[in-house]
Amino acid sequence: MKTTERKSWFIWVAAIVTIAVPGQVLGQAAVESSRGRSGFAPQWTVQVEKVDSGHLDLAHSFQLAIYENLVQELNQTKQFTQVLREGDRKANEVPSLLILKTTVVKYTPGSETRRAVTTVSGATKLTVRTQLLTREGEIVVDRTVNGNVRFFGSNLGATHNLAGNIAKAVKKSNVAMFRASYHDIQPPAANAGATQ
Amino acid sequence: MNRLFALRNNHTVSFAGQALVILWALSLCCSVGAFAQRTAPTVNVNAPISIRATHLVGFENAKSNCNGTLSILDDALQFQQKGKPGAQVSTASIRDLFLGEESKQVGGLPMKLGKAAAPYGTGRVVSLFAHKKYDTLTLEYVDSHGGVHGAIFQLPKGQGEVLKDELLARGVSPNSGQYQPTRQNTAEVTREND
Repeated sequence: MKTTERKSWFIWVAAIVTIAVPGQVLGQAAVESSRGRSGFAPQWTVQVEKVDSGHLDLAHSFQLAIYENLVQELNQTKQFTQVLREGDRKANEVPSLLILKTTVVKYTPGSETRRAVTTVSGATKLTVRTQLLTREGEIVVDRTVNGNVRFFGSNLGATHNLAGNIAKAVKKSNVAMFRASYHDIQPPAANAGATQ
Repeated sequence: MNRLFALRNNHTVSFAGQALVILWALSLCCSVGAFAQRTAPTVNVNAPISIRATHLVGFENAKSNCNGTLSILDDALQFQQKGKPGAQVSTASIRDLFLGEESKQVGGLPMKLGKAAAPYGTGRVVSLFAHKKYDTLTLEYVDSHGGVHGAIFQLPKGQGEVLKDELLARGVSPNSGQYQPTRQNTAEVTREND
């Protein structure tokens, strides 16, 4: 009788250990991973500069739409503590500031009516070179990004698509990691020169 | 002699009458001119102006792609959605404004579905005619921290010019050398197209 009780007691303990220990281990792992994530927490502030149309005759509405969409999209990435606009005086007080420069490289004007009639033609396409620089002018990210509207939507939709792609490129380049290498004075060559 | 005097007297009376008529006509002309002068400047600079508009992007505290009323109050440009408090910026903070033109398909999603469902590709033919031209008003303004904002509004055709003139009348000064309304217009037409 006593041995049966002892056996059942052992079984209970074993069951509790089996359930509790892996749970605790997993929990610890989760906590550590979250710590790890907070290790890459956004520490940079980015200042978005107005879009440079280069030598192209790009409409002001397009330039400002890209700029506005960029500010929105970068805010959504949560890669930066703050997203500032060009001319914002707060930028002078921020210790770690990155500057986002966007230059239009190529622009193909499209037509919403042509898209609706033919489906295959009339796409509005934009190609820009986007650079993230430190105050000292060191390049953190240098990418060529495309944006377009092919089927439905207005021509300005290309600017929204482009801003989304730029934000994705910035997110992929893992800007937060650059902080460590920046302080160790290591050149961030891995990110430069890619095409999205 | 008496007859001659009477005739002379008659002439004096008629001359006086003529002079009176001329005087009356002159005074009438003057008063009409004065009245015209008083009524001619109908455009009151301080009178509020309201235009139905669609906010496309960029105006602070306003949702993108929503309809509302764009009004110029005393010294502010306000965009108000139906039943919501209006978002506004001071006209003094507007640094630049550009006018453009855009052609868009009308009818929205129901029209798109209808065109897609139409047999033998007849929906495409409908697309040829189902578009409308709009004015786009692009504003560049600065916030209280000095940050640059860009706002784009879509207005009914012809209204963009009215709003632009109103803003210019209220002291919105276009940026040095960048404001070229005619060139901008054509540029926008070619870029934003047909």
